[in-house]
Amino acid sequence: MKHKLLIKKGWVLVLFLWCGSIVSAMAQGITINGKVTDASGAGLPGASVVLKGTSVASSTDVDGNYRLTVQSGTGTLVVSYIGFLTREVAVNNQTSLNVVLETDAKSLDEVVVVGYGTQRKSDITGSVAVVEVEEMKKVSTNDVGAMLQGRVSGVSVNTDGQPGAFPQVRIRGIGTFGNSDPLYVIDGVPVSTVPREFNPNDIESMQVLKDASAGAIYGSRAANGVIIITTKKGRKDTPLQVGYSGYYGIDQVWQRMPVTNRANYQTLNNESRLNSGKPLAPANDPMHPSYIDDIDTDWQEEGLKTGDRQNHNVSFSGGGANSTYNISLDYFGNNGTYVGNGPSYERYTARVNTTLEKGIFKVGQAFNYARSNENGLVTGDGVLAGGRPPLINDLVFAIPTMALYDPSNEGGFGGTLSEREDAISLNGIGYNSLVKNTTDVDRIFASVYGELEILKGLKYRLNLGYDATNIRDYNFIPEFNLGYFFNNNIARLNDNSRRLQTLLIENTLNYEKTFGQHSLAVLVGQMYQKDDGVYRQGSAEGFVKPYLPVLSNGAISDASGTEDSHVLASYLGRVNYSFADKYLVTATLRRDGSSRFSPANRFGYFPSVALGWKLINEEFINLPKTIFTDLKIRASWGKLGNENIGNYLYYPLINSNVVYTFNGQRVLGGLQTNVYDESIKWEEKSTANVGFDAVLFNGAVDFSAEYYNSKSEDVLVNIPIPASVGSVNAAPVTNAGTLRNSGVELSLGYNKEAGDFRYGISANFTTLRNEVLDLGDNAPERYGVGSITEVGGEVGRHFGWLADGIFQSQEEIANHAFQKAGTSPGDIKFRDISGPEGIPDGIINENDRTYLGSGIPKYTYGLNFNASYKNFDFTLFMSGKADYLINSRLYRSLMHTAGDDNWHEDILDRWTTVNTDTDIPRLVHADPNENGRDSNREGWLQDGTHLRINTVSLGYNFKEGFIKGLSSARVYVTAQNLYTFQKYKGYNPDFTAGVFEPGFDNGSFPRPRTLMLGVQVGF
Amino acid sequence: MKKLKYFIVAMMLLSSCDDELEMTNPNQRTTSTYWATEDQAFAGVVAVYNALTTDGTYQRTFPSFSDSRGDDMYGDSPATYLELGGQFAIPNNAGEVQWIWRDHYMVVFRANQVIENVAKMDAAVISEDARNRILGQAYFLRGLAYYNLAITYKAVPLITVPPADKTEYYPATASEQELWNHIYSDLRLAEEKLPVSYDNVVGPDRGQKGRATKGAAAGMLGKAYLYRKMYPEAETQFAKFFTGPLQGVYSLVPNYRDNFTTTNENNAESLFEVQFSATGGSIPNWTGEPTATWRQFIALPVAYGMDGKGWSDYQPTRWIFNEYRQEKTKDGKTDPRLAATILFYDQAEGFTSAYGTPWPADRRNQIYPRKYTMEGLGVPIETPETGGVNYRVLRYADILLMYAEVLNELNRTSDAYSYIQQVRNRANLPDLSTVKPGLSQAQMRDQIAHERALEFAIEGQRIQDIIRWGWLYDPAKLVMLKEHDDDFNTWTPGNEYLPIPQTELDYNSNLLPNSAN
Repeated sequence: MKHKLLIKKGWVLVLFLWCGSIVSAMAQGITINGKVTDASGAGLPGASVVLKGTSVASSTDVDGNYRLTVQSGTGTLVVSYIGFLTREVAVNNQTSLNVVLETDAKSLDEVVVVGYGTQRKSDITGSVAVVEVEEMKKVSTNDVGAMLQGRVSGVSVNTDGQPGAFPQVRIRGIGTFGNSDPLYVIDGVPVSTVPREFNPNDIESMQVLKDASAGAIYGSRAANGVIIITTKKGRKDTPLQVGYSGYYGIDQVWQRMPVTNRANYQTLNNESRLNSGKPLAPANDPMHPSYIDDIDTDWQEEGLKTGDRQNHNVSFSGGGANSTYNISLDYFGNNGTYVGNGPSYERYTARVNTTLEKGIFKVGQAFNYARSNENGLVTGDGVLAGGRPPLINDLVFAIPTMALYDPSNEGGFGGTLSEREDAISLNGIGYNSLVKNTTDVDRIFASVYGELEILKGLKYRLNLGYDATNIRDYNFIPEFNLGYFFNNNIARLNDNSRRLQTLLIENTLNYEKTFGQHSLAVLVGQMYQKDDGVYRQGSAEGFVKPYLPVLSNGAISDASGTEDSHVLASYLGRVNYSFADKYLVTATLRRDGSSRFSPANRFGYFPSVALGWKLINEEFINLPKTIFTDLKIRASWGKLGNENIGNYLYYPLINSNVVYTFNGQRVLGGLQTNVYDESIKWEEKSTANVGFDAVLFNGAVDFSAEYYNSKSEDVLVNIPIPASVGSVNAAPVTNAGTLRNSGVELSLGYNKEAGDFRYGISANFTTLRNEVLDLGDNAPERYGVGSITEVGGEVGRHFGWLADGIFQSQEEIANHAFQKAGTSPGDIKFRDISGPEGIPDGIINENDRTYLGSGIPKYTYGLNFNASYKNFDFTLFMSGKADYLINSRLYRSLMHTAGDDNWHEDILDRWTTVNTDTDIPRLVHADPNENGRDSNREGWLQDGTHLRINTVSLGYNFKEGFIKGLSSARVYVTAQNLYTFQKYKGYNPDFTAGVFEPGFDNGSFPRPRTLMLGVQVGF
Repeated sequence: MKKLKYFIVAMMLLSSCDDELEMTNPNQRTTSTYWATEDQAFAGVVAVYNALTTDGTYQRTFPSFSDSRGDDMYGDSPATYLELGGQFAIPNNAGEVQWIWRDHYMVVFRANQVIENVAKMDAAVISEDARNRILGQAYFLRGLAYYNLAITYKAVPLITVPPADKTEYYPATASEQELWNHIYSDLRLAEEKLPVSYDNVVGPDRGQKGRATKGAAAGMLGKAYLYRKMYPEAETQFAKFFTGPLQGVYSLVPNYRDNFTTTNENNAESLFEVQFSATGGSIPNWTGEPTATWRQFIALPVAYGMDGKGWSDYQPTRWIFNEYRQEKTKDGKTDPRLAATILFYDQAEGFTSAYGTPWPADRRNQIYPRKYTMEGLGVPIETPETGGVNYRVLRYADILLMYAEVLNELNRTSDAYSYIQQVRNRANLPDLSTVKPGLSQAQMRDQIAHERALEFAIEGQRIQDIIRWGWLYDPAKLVMLKEHDDDFNTWTPGNEYLPIPQTELDYNSNLLPNSAN
């Protein structure tokens, strides 16, 4: 005890000495007291007070009071507070110094780009999300859509890890069955195709218009939401500024599927065949001369390599008194992780933006040129038999007894033989190395606008846009032999080209006027857009070796081609009115005409109205300004249209190229091969939205919450018709179906600054509920892969049988409902839940299928944390989705009981006579019980809930002048896709999927872990 | 503000774009202006034939699924459904079940357009002869499609006009009797309207082989009556080939194998065959929208080709292999139809190579299909999309044996001998009336069954014969079938047909399942 007491006394002494030093320091200088307030006199708690050039600092208490001891009465205090302009005050020997801070108008009056104009953020009545562009750009990707993942509430992005991959961007759920991509508007020009050839480094600002009111001005195009992108412009009166930014990184697939090795594979395959009375495959039969014991290929090890990525961007910007310019040159390159020809992607872009103004005239242009070269991961179209999954799956379920190389095969790669392995297994590395599959794109995207101020407040604007894309799709398949089922005796070339053009003309008049407390802005306009496509296909076959694969070198060649056009012509109008900066009204009407509908159904009228109430400015509520910086509630309703279908679908056509060869004589035939619905019309989506926005503590906290409820009617959808109709197109486009989406969207931001340490957190959270209200007269349900879409349920619910464990005995089978003639112990028992009369009938058949869960995530979330301390900055970004089930084609293939592919190691726990306590059925070659059918058996539907660590980044900013000649310099390291917390046994729980099977992962490419080193410098 | 008004008006006028919204498809003409010329009528019926060349019709799945359900063939493929088809256990969601349905109804949809529109065409634009030929072919092709559907699915919807709009996409299942009556009617109309040959017709079809003829329609009609056991009607049909208008039009080709190679197509024995070619075109004709660059290959050769040379999806049964050896030719040799039908190794008989190379040493005890493969036709290996053998739908040999069968059923058993013997003569087999004189009606039935098995093995005939003879419901015959082919062990009553595709039941609530669902 004495010891302890002594020790305690020692601590007290240390504490005393330490405190004493402070006391002595205080005793040496003078103390300044004071209060920091806003313009209204309210104290600002937590404001920072620093003696300039020193580390002497303090912060205010809850009432805004501070106390600071300084060495002398000279010097300057720097007072800062978030949301307010920083102020410097000379001490001048005063001991009492009150400081009044002015609000930083810029932060509260942030201007947001909306359709055909801009608005103060605080005046917005619709649902508009502003993307934190600088944070977003910390993600390395070729595509602007992929950058949005986890950034904005209500926006769900699915993408896989293939270089050049198209992400799937969904704003507020599945609003339609057809094309659900949002509309992209770049510098005021709607872009018809996904802007792949767009350089994300050029983005200055980005907004997402989510509700009908915000999007209404884009009418027919906005039903899936609008993403507005403004590119960087130069600044006036600024000399040339030169900047460079770039990074280099390596990509590695960190996930591995545990598959069985040769010995296990052979044991399992033999067991499967013995159980079905089928002779062993010679390669797996130790008694057979063809038995393989010297090949044990680890396909994932052989087939996955380290990829890399890099980006280099140089920009030149500046401006004079009446002009600005910004020039940017960019390269992005990404070599993928699959051994062979693809996937890889590279893109060169050049952008020139200029503005000129003089008096009442204003002219601007944006010119973007892009070239991209993509080596796609090849698919099996035309050569490989059967609907094979993406090639990544072959790296996993290829059998280990297949050799990677075999010089005796044409092409040099190994394969299987029916008389040896008796397994259909594709050497994906071989196929990806033999077949060349490239897409080269040249795209020019140019826009010009001229603005004329006719009267004060009245502006006329002419907007012209031209978007031209030339695409070459090249595919060469040499002669090869990859064994059983996978061989090609005739070298073939497909060399196709596509030319897509979009012309846009817009005339708008804008009138703005403030009189008294009334503020009015009126917009009227007209637009015309025409899209043209020309498609040419050239093919040739029969090339001599060594190959010179151009069309002229084939023994036989042929050519074909088509073209199409689409026109959209619209009138639009909008009124924004506000009274006393308290009450806001926005009303919009747009009339759209589309060439895709018959004259009777051609035009659609799309109105919207939105109301806002700025509670903050309401005297009778008198919100305490120290807490509330801004507070607004808003509500909107509007109707939008959709015409995202193919061209010329409203009248039946004759196919005049239906050939038949009569005894060697080729004759052209012609008649109607497809049926069409001639009554198709606009799909309409109405959305109601309520929300409130709050800014607290002078901008330290920013909170927004919304609820929306949208209803899509007359949804344009390819509804499958009975094959007995005889149409080649088995699912013509028709207006069938009504869908409802509703959800809550929350976003929260918090910023804190304490001396040199600043940090910010932004989080978003979205819920989604989807319901199908109608699916058309004769289509009560629509089936997808293991899924059903039915009235009263959501889109693409998992559908199948209920598994009730494993049959342990013949007796148990006899006592159960009849399943299949070949059902045996070790097979899965399925539940008899219904029959033709709606009651269990003792037979397991399609009547016993039921709903097995949702394929649509109920929750989507993102969290961004950034911090800086002195010259260091740090970012952590995570995103994820929750509460949905995934049907993994890859996992199901690996757990097959029927065929000859390789297995997941989970299969080692299969049912056998000595291992009966398991959920995994027996192996039997032809799967007579159909154990592989859609069901809820273990592993068949997996929890997709996940949290992905998208970005972890650490940067260092060099002080100005630290490196001679550089005005600024920053270096950083980033780890992207560092890890994903997931239960899912496939690669990506956020795979891209088809509309009617949102929970079906056909085989998404794994997203690699990327480690990057980057630099940003200004000259 | 006045200025503003003028400005707005001017702007709107300048840019009124509603007229620009009328876009016509530059690639294809509309149906509204079609069926106006004779050329279009001819083109229409050509497009019906095109539908015979896809996976679900004669390119692969219809013939192979018919074959594998017989006792002469069984599935042996890692593609499970190809095995289950022959085992009468194919699930109703199998693609193969859908393809046969889908592609035959494409024939029906196209034939319906021709029949409806060409019949209405003004006499000023089409000659009566041309109209008859065109309609006759359309009736024939529709009758053939419904015949195939009826023998495969038993009862299906009967659609005889193109749908006017989407409310007509959901037909109900027709009764078997309605269906067959319509098959008879189509084939009867075809027989009436079609020429015996196109050699002397006036029109773009002059001289073209491969088109449906009077003989094809008359023969198919007889075959349909026989399937339904309408013997007197069948007798009338078949008699036309021996004493009626079709007498002397057809004959057996001397070399049996000439019926199954690329070298002697559309020969004197052929009443109707679907045309295939190994070359030409870049878009494979599995299914889908036909283009000018469509190929017209047959995929049976690659599906039937032996291990190492093709997919070997199906193999002949030992029973049929041995059946050929039951009776020697007049000069004491093996029935020549064996080597034309089955690919096997037999050093004594000189069969020691396949596809131009020696038999693999470890496969000598295996037997494979030869009929409808490219073996011996100069290819080293079968590849998808390069098979070129025409598929024979109806041969004169079938007319002979069907006529014999009808005569036997009409108690004219002794009259049947001569027709059977014509077929046996080509195989150089001894005179049946000498080796088996005085057969009873029942004995003659068995004899005809034996003759048909040998003559038509791997021609998709056997399962139809088994069904119409009722063997599956005759316990003794069922035991025999199980001995021939253990696939019959998993047959359960009703499953001799393919099930109605599940998707079709899903999409059409008026449709009934069949006994195999």
